[in-house]
Amino acid sequence: MTVIETEPPEAVTADSLSGEAYRVAMRRWLRANLPAGFRSDSAAFVAPTLQQSIAWEAAMHRTGLAGITWPQAYGGHGRTLREHLIANQEIGALAMPESVNSIGKELAGPIILAVGTEEQKRRFLPAILEMRDIWCQGFSEPEAGSDLASLRTRATRSGDNWRINGQKIWTSGAYRSQRCLVLARTGPLEDRHRGLAMFAVRLDAEGVRVRTIKSIDGRESFCEVFFDDVEVPQSDAVGAPNEGWAAAIRVLEIERATNRMYRAWRFENELRHLISACKTDPVLAQLVADSRYAARIGEVVVDIEVLKAHVETVVDALVSGDRIGARGSLAKLHWSEAHQRFAALALELLAQASMPLLPAVKVARRRFEAIYLQARAETIYAGTTEIQLGIIADRILQLSRGK
Amino acid sequence: MAPTSEGLQPADFAVTAERAVAACSGLGLREQASHLAGDGLLGVVAHEDVGGLDLPLAFAVPVVAAATSGLLGFPLLETILLGQLLRQPVPRLAAAIVRGEVLATIAWQGSVIAEREADTVLLNGWVARAPCATEVDHVLVRIGADRAALISIEADGVVVEEGAGLDLTVLEHGMRLESVAIPEERILRDGAWARLCSDANVLRAAAILGSAGACLSLAQEHASTRRQFGRALSYNQAIRHALARQKLGLEGMRHAITRSLGELAGALERDAAFLAAAACGTSISEGALQIHGGMGFTWDVPVHRHIRRIRSLQAQGDASGLIAALGRRYVAEIAPAAEAAAAQ
Repeated sequence: MTVIETEPPEAVTADSLSGEAYRVAMRRWLRANLPAGFRSDSAAFVAPTLQQSIAWEAAMHRTGLAGITWPQAYGGHGRTLREHLIANQEIGALAMPESVNSIGKELAGPIILAVGTEEQKRRFLPAILEMRDIWCQGFSEPEAGSDLASLRTRATRSGDNWRINGQKIWTSGAYRSQRCLVLARTGPLEDRHRGLAMFAVRLDAEGVRVRTIKSIDGRESFCEVFFDDVEVPQSDAVGAPNEGWAAAIRVLEIERATNRMYRAWRFENELRHLISACKTDPVLAQLVADSRYAARIGEVVVDIEVLKAHVETVVDALVSGDRIGARGSLAKLHWSEAHQRFAALALELLAQASMPLLPAVKVARRRFEAIYLQARAETIYAGTTEIQLGIIADRILQLSRGK
Repeated sequence: MAPTSEGLQPADFAVTAERAVAACSGLGLREQASHLAGDGLLGVVAHEDVGGLDLPLAFAVPVVAAATSGLLGFPLLETILLGQLLRQPVPRLAAAIVRGEVLATIAWQGSVIAEREADTVLLNGWVARAPCATEVDHVLVRIGADRAALISIEADGVVVEEGAGLDLTVLEHGMRLESVAIPEERILRDGAWARLCSDANVLRAAAILGSAGACLSLAQEHASTRRQFGRALSYNQAIRHALARQKLGLEGMRHAITRSLGELAGALERDAAFLAAAACGTSISEGALQIHGGMGFTWDVPVHRHIRRIRSLQAQGDASGLIAALGRRYVAEIAPAAEAAAAQ
């Protein structure tokens, strides 16, 4: 494993700092320790290897930048949700790579904390934070993308254990994961939402096969995962049998509303990068100051501010003890579409650069071409735009569907 | 002792405001002023010295939102802001405005030139977008870029044009000022106009929120009750998704307003709240009209009144100019990449 040598975060302990002092310490630590080569706004950027990512994320956790709100008993830092937001603001401010274990930290972990057994919490959670276990999410299937009620992957009782058969798809990062949070059917298909259970399946178990899928950005992160008589111990069943749907919905609410809470601040980092690159090129510098483009940049700024407002509202609601519920769809819908609008604007601007490209513009072109392609997936994953609109119509507006 | 924000929440004012606005229906402007003042709504943010409640701007948000939601025909936003703004230069007048005894408004567009002559100042120029100007006693006009002056509508040299513009609920007026003499104390200090506009943008966003919320409710009601081809309109996915998008816009503007009133909020957050409201409010109201179909194009369905109101508020705040200015300001603050790298 690559060892990331990091400076200590200046006497940061779980108890010693809070609020803004915590922000300052985290900011200093990130800026002192994030390797330049990890930053996609740097000319030195080279996508980190898996081992480098693991080492970096483990160092972030040791510093207090992962498992922020998780109880200390399970390896977390026992901090407040507001501090979680602060950490995310600081993470978002830098063009660092996406976590290779966001599913573990932001989906599997929270759901295990909510419905897992004490034994599961002690076994799974520290391993996620220490990056010993990377997780993926096995919800979607070829015949059931956003329509989880149509899942066909089946879990049947086999003595004290379960036996899983079926296929998952769009399972991001399965090839590099140790565990998959699998939603499987325990009842008949006609039961739809009922009779679904959730399992923490080891991906090195006999009968599991992973195949990568090449996506439009040239990466091979998506996977198909095949389960052929995979035996899963009862101790890896997460939550009560037949309550998998409720747990899944809870996971998805988290996914839509709180995961990658840094998005608004990363979005801001991207906009600032775009403008700073444009300002090195005489043609682009003139364009971004031009009224037409200034107004469009103003629209991106407003989109970012509205996204921040959505995020902060979610945090306020959670701090007040409310569940996020369907409101997660509002934030998800906004950021996914706003990011696509911004990415298209970035490409349009950069396409007008002087030739030959200046170094800063080259770096920006590389970054924004990748962002543009990746943003195509953002209105698809975690529930498509159409699914989010349906959720808002059904559960927030409570519009009648009947005759 | 006047109430403070302690123990009170802005939402507490929503119900009072809704009731007061409903009670103003059919009343003349001065009767409305008296009624609204009686409920403490005109002085919600004005200082106690002038009879106000001295509450933070957040408390004016539900009041202004209720006013547009109920299509109140009164320059409430302007009155609330003037009650606060005029405390220093003309406290007795500010108190009279808060009591509803004197009516005042603001000309949001255009500016005049001020020239000193002996003990007075002469104002010349053209201003516009002054809601209810023919019925009020005083109008605040902009001088140059960032000063302002309060003029009496009765002063010599003030010519108020006939009401114009889309908004039928609160008519806007243009005004020509020809050597209008005012005493020195009626001129507000430098920076007053910018601060006024900053507060006004938050309240405009609140006003648009009120109208947009009313439009969405009307559209939702219509889609749920109107039947076509044997089913409620809301059965159709296109309608459901259109309404869901309207809800997304409405909640986005609501959250942006809340954020603009936070402790750390500044000009960026305030401008963003107004601009988000201007963009989303327009699409929500126009979308509501579309969902009403042919009915939406009839005079009787009030959606068009809200569209008119939102479009006027958008113009009063110069949304298109402001968004370009916001973009330019943002761009100007960012150093070119090489410098940024060197600074790190």
